[in-house]
Amino acid sequence: MAIYRVKRIVLESFPVLTAGIIISLVAGYMLNSSIQKIAELPIILMMIPPINGIGGNIGSILGARLTSALHLGTLEPRLSGQRVLRRNMAASSLVSFIIFSLIGAIFFAFAYVSGIPLARSLSLALAFFIAGIALTAAVIVVTITSAFVSFRGGLDPDNVVIPIVTSVGDVLGVTCLLVAIIIVGV
Amino acid sequence: MAREVSIRSIVAPGLSILFMCALIELGAGKVFEEMQGYFTTLLPGLIVMIPPLLGLRGNINGALASRLGTALNAGLIEPRLTLSAEIKVNLTSSLILSIIASAIIGVFAFGVNLLTSAPTIGVLELMVKLIAIAVFAGFLSGLILALLTVFVAVKSYARGWDPDNITSPTMATIGDFVTIACIYLAVLLVV
Repeated sequence: MAIYRVKRIVLESFPVLTAGIIISLVAGYMLNSSIQKIAELPIILMMIPPINGIGGNIGSILGARLTSALHLGTLEPRLSGQRVLRRNMAASSLVSFIIFSLIGAIFFAFAYVSGIPLARSLSLALAFFIAGIALTAAVIVVTITSAFVSFRGGLDPDNVVIPIVTSVGDVLGVTCLLVAIIIVGV
Repeated sequence: MAREVSIRSIVAPGLSILFMCALIELGAGKVFEEMQGYFTTLLPGLIVMIPPLLGLRGNINGALASRLGTALNAGLIEPRLTLSAEIKVNLTSSLILSIIASAIIGVFAFGVNLLTSAPTIGVLELMVKLIAIAVFAGFLSGLILALLTVFVAVKSYARGWDPDNITSPTMATIGDFVTIACIYLAVLLVV
């Protein structure tokens, strides 16, 4: 006898998926609004999957670690005096700093080889790095908030944190990238 | 006191996996960059669909991976690559969700485009093309990735690994690349 039923899976998944679609449409709309900048510098498109992917991974790993620690009782859902929380935040920041430096360097090489002048290639890589660091800070805040709020509210954070972090991360990733490109003045 | 959490023990294993993922995402980014002519001139509105299609793929597959992990660990699914009733139900549900949700993305992207920019091609033509691309890319990437998800989950369980730890991260990374490639194929066929 089948335990799973198509109807149940489809009906239960549908609201979450629709919410995810609406959140990520914001990211799509923002890309569409920057279409002139993208036509001028198509390498911006190449930056989007990596920044969203890395941001999502950093949030997912931190989320999985925090939710396990909450369940085990080594972490309490409050901000002060939490050594486990501080160490996890430090680790996520360090990982993000190293990864965004490395991928930023790869983007510099790509840009320069594809004929973009040296100064502009450097500022593109710098914009990617700054966007990555800003995204990490935002993702850490969203992850900790959603883990603590869901745990305090009696929900299992395992079911809540990762979908929230990845959907919000997609929008924030595109936002950070486009804002960093404007700030650096690429 | 539970075991100490050292920063090094979190950073070291995470870093190599993240770097691998980042390299695959760079490949997805390269395909995305190749498509820029379609975004800027040939089919305005197309770019609006990209983040939702990628996100949808991740969400549907993540849930599939999670259900398969639970079912394998609970012994509801045999760790063999046969189309058992449970696996069929899981695959069918994922594909139905892919088709319906992708069509919704096409409609929403058309709506956003209609409200925010002056259309360069006929309204009806734009709507049909956006929905066709979304559904084709959503269904094709859904089929490929759902089969791969079953494969990775069953094989990792058969090897004695916990599929909960393997399937989601592997499929999330491969998923972006496959989805962008399917969108590109759909665009080439439709435009």
